[in-house]
Amino acid sequence: MAHGAAAGHGAHAHGEHDPHPTGWKRWVYSTNHKDIGTMYIVLSMIAALLGGLMSWYIRLELAEPGIQFIEDTQFYNVLVTAHGFLMVFFVVMPAMIGGFGNWFVPLMVGAPDMAFPRMNNISFWLTAAGLVLLVMSAFVGGGPGTGWTVYPPLSSIAYHPDAAVDFGILALHVAGAGSILGAINFIVTILNMRSPGMTMHRMPLFAWSILITAFLLLLALPVLAGALTMLLTDRNFGTHFYDPAGGGDPLLWQHLFWFFGHPEVYIIILPAFGIVSQLVSTFSRKPVFGYLGMAYAMSAIGVVGFIVWAHHMYTTGLGVNARAYFTTATLIIAVPTGIKIFSWLATMWDGSIDFKAPMLYAIGFIFLFVVGGVTGVALANAGIDFALHDTYYVVAHFHYVMAIAAIFAMFGGYYYWVGKMTGRQYNEGLAKAQFWLFFIGVNLLFFPQHFLGLAGMPRRIPDYPDVYAGWNMVSSFGALLTMLGTFMFYFIVFHTMRSGKPAEANPWGEGATTLEWTVASPAPFHTHEVQPVISAGDHGHGGHGHGAHPRPAE
Amino acid sequence: MPGAQARGINRTTLTAVVLFAVVVAMGGLAFASVPLYRLFCQVTGFAGTPKTGAYVGTASAGAGAAGEVTVRFDANVNSQLPWQFQPAERQVVVRPGQEVLVHFRAHNLADHPITGTATFNVTPFKAAQYFNKIECFCFTEQTLKPGEDVSMPVVFYVDPQLFEDPNTAEVRNITLSYTFFPVEAQAQQPSAGEKAL
Repeated sequence: MAHGAAAGHGAHAHGEHDPHPTGWKRWVYSTNHKDIGTMYIVLSMIAALLGGLMSWYIRLELAEPGIQFIEDTQFYNVLVTAHGFLMVFFVVMPAMIGGFGNWFVPLMVGAPDMAFPRMNNISFWLTAAGLVLLVMSAFVGGGPGTGWTVYPPLSSIAYHPDAAVDFGILALHVAGAGSILGAINFIVTILNMRSPGMTMHRMPLFAWSILITAFLLLLALPVLAGALTMLLTDRNFGTHFYDPAGGGDPLLWQHLFWFFGHPEVYIIILPAFGIVSQLVSTFSRKPVFGYLGMAYAMSAIGVVGFIVWAHHMYTTGLGVNARAYFTTATLIIAVPTGIKIFSWLATMWDGSIDFKAPMLYAIGFIFLFVVGGVTGVALANAGIDFALHDTYYVVAHFHYVMAIAAIFAMFGGYYYWVGKMTGRQYNEGLAKAQFWLFFIGVNLLFFPQHFLGLAGMPRRIPDYPDVYAGWNMVSSFGALLTMLGTFMFYFIVFHTMRSGKPAEANPWGEGATTLEWTVASPAPFHTHEVQPVISAGDHGHGGHGHGAHPRPAE
Repeated sequence: MPGAQARGINRTTLTAVVLFAVVVAMGGLAFASVPLYRLFCQVTGFAGTPKTGAYVGTASAGAGAAGEVTVRFDANVNSQLPWQFQPAERQVVVRPGQEVLVHFRAHNLADHPITGTATFNVTPFKAAQYFNKIECFCFTEQTLKPGEDVSMPVVFYVDPQLFEDPNTAEVRNITLSYTFFPVEAQAQQPSAGEKAL
C-alpha cells in the first residue's frame, strides 16, 4: 500500500503551479484550507503561550501558603478566568478543529478543499477577533473575575460593574459565531464532498470525530449564544433573566451554560479521540480494532453528552430524582468511552508497535484519559460530588481528562503531521525527550491535586491553610517541568522549521494508510483536484478505512 | 457533467441551509427555555414551585390521621424596597387536605406609593408539588400608599399525597417563603450593595 501511495503523489504535484496570492494577502485573504489550518495552529500556539503563562503564574502563587505575588485577589480571579477561556476556546478548539480539522479532513476524505472556502476564512478571522476581545477584557476595569462559567449573580452588573464581562461575552459571541460557521463547513464538506467510493463507513476516524464534533458545536453553541445574550441584556438593558427581583432565576444560567458546557468538553476531546485513533493504528501497523464500534461509540458519546449537563449542578438543590437520573446517565457515558479505550488497546495488541514520538503521545493520552475518566466516574455520583464539589479533586479530574489529554493529542498530531504540513520532519530524539519531560511534568502537576481535593482544598482561591503546603509545592514543581516541556515544544517547532530533514510523502510506512499520505510533503497548495477513487480492500472487510485502496484517478 | 455539478451545488446549499436552521432553532430554544421551564415547574412543582389552583378535595382527605404538617412562614424584603413585611403567625399546624387561610402584613415605610411584587418558594423542594395555593397575593402586583398597612391573605392546602409518596413521607415541616421586590421603575437603579436572593 505504501508504494501505491508514494506513486500517487507525483500526480498531484501540478497543484503547486497554480497562481495564488502571495505575501500577506495569501494569509489574510486565504480561502485555502491548508493555509487557514496553519493560521489556526499559529493562533492556538500564541493563545497557548498566554494561557500557559497565566497558569504558571497561578502555580507560582500557590506554591506556598500565604499571598506571595498576587495581592489583588480580583486579579487572581481574572487569571483563572482568562486561563480557562483561552485554553478552551482559543487553544484546543482552534488547534484541533480549525487547525488539524481544516488541514486533514479535506485531505482524508478526498475533497479538493472545504465546501465554503470564503466562509472558512471568516471563521478564522472571527476566532482571531474573539481572541483580541478576550485579551482586551482583562484590561477593562477590574477584568472579568467570574471563572469561565460566568455564573450570575457574580457576573451581574452589581458585582462586575465595568465593561470587562461585556467584553468577555462579546469575545465568546464572536468566537462562537466563527465556530458555528466552521462546523457548518465541516459537515457540508464531509457529507457532500467525499471522494467516489469513500463511503461514511470507510472514512478515517479523525474525519468521523470532526463530523461529530461539528454537530455538537452546531447544537451547543447557539444555546451558549442565547444564554450570553440574556446575560448581556440583564447587565445592560434591565432585563431580569437571571435576577430574582424581576422573576428571573440565576439557576437558568447554570442550566443553559452547562447544556452548552458539557457537550463543549466532548467538543474538545472527540477530535483528540480521532487523532489518537490514527496514531495508534499507524504506529501499530494495524487497522483500528472495531472501526464501526469506534465511530458509533463517538456518536453515542455525542448524543448522551447532551442529557447529562446537571451533573455539574448537584449542589444547587436538585431533587433526589433528578440527581439519580443525572448520576445514572453520566455513568452510562463510561460504556462508549470504555469501547474506545479497549479498542485502542486491542489495536495495539499483537501489533508491530513503533514507539515514535506521536505514538508515545497517543499512549500518554490513553493513560491520562483513563486516570481522568476514573475520577470522572467517582465525581458522577451525586453523593460523592457533594463532598468534592469545587475542590481541587475536580480541578485534577478535568485537567487530566480533557485539558492535558487534549494537549497530548495535539502534540501527537503535530509530530505526526508536521512533515505533511511543512515538508520537514522533527528530530525524533528531541521529541521523545520533550514527551518524557512533559509527561512527568503534568503528572507531577496534577496528580497531587487529587490528594489536595480529597483533603478539602477549595478551587479558585489564591491562599490556603498550611496543612495543604506539601502537595501544593510538588504540584508547582510539576508546573515548572511542564513549563520547560512546553518551551521545549516551541523550540522543536522552531528547530523543525529551520533545520528539520525533508519529509517523505509517507514517513510512517505501511501503517499510514489514509489519503493525506498519498500526496507529496509538504502537501501541494491544491490537492485532490481530481478526486481519488476508493475501492474496498481485498481482505473482505471493507467496512473500515484502512482496507480502502486509493488509486490516483488519472 | 454540468448537470451533476448543479445537483452537487444544490445539495451543498441545501445541507448548509438545514444546518443554519438548526443553529437558529437551538438559539431560539435557549430563549424558549424561560417560558418552557416556568411551565415545567408549574406542572411538576419542580425546584420548589408551589402548585396553584382551585381546591380539588382529594378523596383521601379523611386519612388526616396519617399525621399533621407544620407549615412555617418566612417573609423577606429586598433591600431596595422600603417595606416592612411579615407573616401574621409564624406557623400553623395543618391536617392534609385541610384548607387554611393565613395572612401576611405589609407596611410601606416610604413617603410615596410603591408597587412591589413577591416571589415565592417552598422548602423542602420535593414537598412543593404537594403544596397547593388557592389564593395568593403573590399572583399580582401590590401597590401600597405612603404609610399604608395591608393584610394579605393566602389560602392553601397540603395534598394528602405527601404522606403516600415514599420520597416525601417523612416531611413534617414545610416552609413557605416570600420575598418582595420593587417593581421595574425602582428596580432599574443599579444596586450599589448586594441584591437579596
